[in-house]
Amino acid sequence: MFPLVSLPLPGEVLLITDELLASADFLLHHFLARHLKESKDSASMIVFLSEDIGRWKAIAGKSNVNLSGHMDNQRLSLIDAMSLISPALESSTMVPLRDLYDGIRDALQNHANHREQSMLVILDDLATLEWIGIAVEEVAQFSRALCALCRQRNAALVLRHHIVSPGEPDEVFKRLLQLCDYHLDVFPLSSGRSGSVSGQVALHCGHASAEATNRLISRNAAVQYRLTDTGSTFFDRGTGNGVL
Amino acid sequence: MIEQPYSISRSYIRTVESSQQSTTLAHFHYEVSPATSAMSAFKRRTTSKQPPPPIGTRPSPGSPATTITSTGIPSLDDILGGGLPLSCSLLVLAPDAHSAYGELVLKYFASQGLACGQRICVVDARPDAFLSECMWMPGSSGAASAQSNSPTPAPPTAAEDEEDEKASEHDTKIKIAWRYEQMKQFQTTVQSPDQSADDYCRRFDLTSRVPESTINSALSEGRYLDVRPDESSFSEDESSCRRVLRRVAEILAKAESDSPSASALATHAIVTRICIPALGSYEWGDLSPQDVCYFLHSLRALLRRHPRACAAMSVSPHLCQETYGGPGWVQKLGWLTDASITLAAFTANPSLSAMFSSHHGLVHIHSLPAPHTLLPPSDKFSTLRGLTSSGENNLAFKCMRKRLIFETLHLDVEGGVSERRTTPSSSAFAMEAGTGHDHDHLHQPSTIPLPGGASVAAVQVQLEQVHMAPSVPESQPDLPPAKPESAFKKAKVKKKVAFTSERPDLYDF
Repeated sequence: MFPLVSLPLPGEVLLITDELLASADFLLHHFLARHLKESKDSASMIVFLSEDIGRWKAIAGKSNVNLSGHMDNQRLSLIDAMSLISPALESSTMVPLRDLYDGIRDALQNHANHREQSMLVILDDLATLEWIGIAVEEVAQFSRALCALCRQRNAALVLRHHIVSPGEPDEVFKRLLQLCDYHLDVFPLSSGRSGSVSGQVALHCGHASAEATNRLISRNAAVQYRLTDTGSTFFDRGTGNGVL
Repeated sequence: MIEQPYSISRSYIRTVESSQQSTTLAHFHYEVSPATSAMSAFKRRTTSKQPPPPIGTRPSPGSPATTITSTGIPSLDDILGGGLPLSCSLLVLAPDAHSAYGELVLKYFASQGLACGQRICVVDARPDAFLSECMWMPGSSGAASAQSNSPTPAPPTAAEDEEDEKASEHDTKIKIAWRYEQMKQFQTTVQSPDQSADDYCRRFDLTSRVPESTINSALSEGRYLDVRPDESSFSEDESSCRRVLRRVAEILAKAESDSPSASALATHAIVTRICIPALGSYEWGDLSPQDVCYFLHSLRALLRRHPRACAAMSVSPHLCQETYGGPGWVQKLGWLTDASITLAAFTANPSLSAMFSSHHGLVHIHSLPAPHTLLPPSDKFSTLRGLTSSGENNLAFKCMRKRLIFETLHLDVEGGVSERRTTPSSSAFAMEAGTGHDHDHLHQPSTIPLPGGASVAAVQVQLEQVHMAPSVPESQPDLPPAKPESAFKKAKVKKKVAFTSERPDLYDF
């Protein structure tokens, strides 16, 4: 399969970007399910902004992961980002993302107190923060603080950002690229939607990593994937493995 | 001994044939399945304990956890994967300022809600005007007909557009080559349900209006609520978006507390449809792109908390353009809603409407609802999009006299201009008449310089005419017997006689 096995390592930041025709939801779900299945000591935190918890549960259920059970075992914590952001958005004096950062920090601390375990933090959407009116500078500062926090706690961090203008990187994306160790680039086929190929994935090296330990994949040789009910299958382009 | 292998092979062939049929009709099988599963001996006992789905809804063919409801347009339902899932939002973008196809889709959405007894909440400055303009079922009791001279309740076939009827008549009359005769007819859209089918999707007719009594009864039963974005509130600095969100949240919370959930009475659960026909129109005040994004994002989060509500929105035309929201604006809108489509009408572009004369606009799909799955159910179950076999089909819409249809867009058989018809349609005549005029104009300049005789060009024309003249009497007697085989050619001949009476036509082939 696609060499996603060692991504993301503890203390590393993985940036995932996607486009509207090729959503990277499946990668987030894949990382979560794999991490929770990996060992009994692994724990996760989902900070959800766009995808509601019902969808997380439904999709995790398809890959035999019972999120409710994990929440009861304190192996999984959920943070509804919007509930922490909206009060600050309505008042003009508060720093909008401060509460969210504090919430994540407290939850991480909570996990660390509980037991020694490998931690995965998933933030499902950064782009929307900017779209709903939070300044680029705020979003950049928040993500920098979050990356620093996760590196300090030796937790793996997955950030997802939407690309709406391919070819013209937006300001948030430029900042995120400086912060991440790896950049997973999910993009659609240039010929439009297809029933047998859902999209393509490329892996780039981020600015924060000194040298890449994983094999990088350029956009020209991107690995294609196809979504199924339970997950995804990857295949090299032109091989027809996923089609036949 | 010889018979047996033969019969085996025959039955084998038959099963192959039937399996092929079943794959092509997979979509319809799924629609039937709720009824047939009730008869199955292997029904799980647990499922019988579950309350039946709320009125006007059905489980999604793709994932049983998802409940879908109809938009009122069967072909749009097909694109969405059977219907709009509850707790999801649908955004219809109609960037063309000269038409109102987005609002039309919203009217279908509201009509469907009224017709099957769901609660509708109209967010508009003039909700009553919006609702009174909604379409209704033909021939239903008290349906106010917009056309005074055709009040007769039409049988299902008469509900077809006249144009369509003609076309289908021609199609059946055509003598088809024997090897293609067994193939099913080429279809560009999905079938509408029968009038008697069920509440799920009614068959609406654009020529009839919703009766006053229906609106009044919905109002008295509390199934029609309105939210006005321009109403004044205590805190004036509150933006219209936040005010609307607050009001909608109150309405949904009230609906939730009214309907007794998780009990046997849950059969009375009523779905709430939120209709926003013109988000961002002037009544909403000055909306920044951030306000719109915040509104869409919060509305979706709100719907997720209320599993028996869904929303359809249409955005005011100027909001659909990138000049309003910056680069990637349409993509942002797609990310912030569950389903978003653009109806790009041709009205502003005469060349497009000439090229696709049988359609009124193109349909672009940006996002599709997948509330419980990775893959939108539409990818598997949409006949129109046709992703199961190959790449996605091009889609277009047309608004006929009686209904709005989404269908696949094909080039002509010759890769040509307009329609797949064997007999000329009225548009072909119009085009022919147009070209006739062109000929006329072409001749005019050539005749005018003749009397002057000063320019070289005029002399050349004269010479050509001299050359052409002898050939005409030869060809003229041949033409009449060959021509009258169709009305199309007849008209052509007539026109020529009328326009060029004395001289022969240079361009006569």
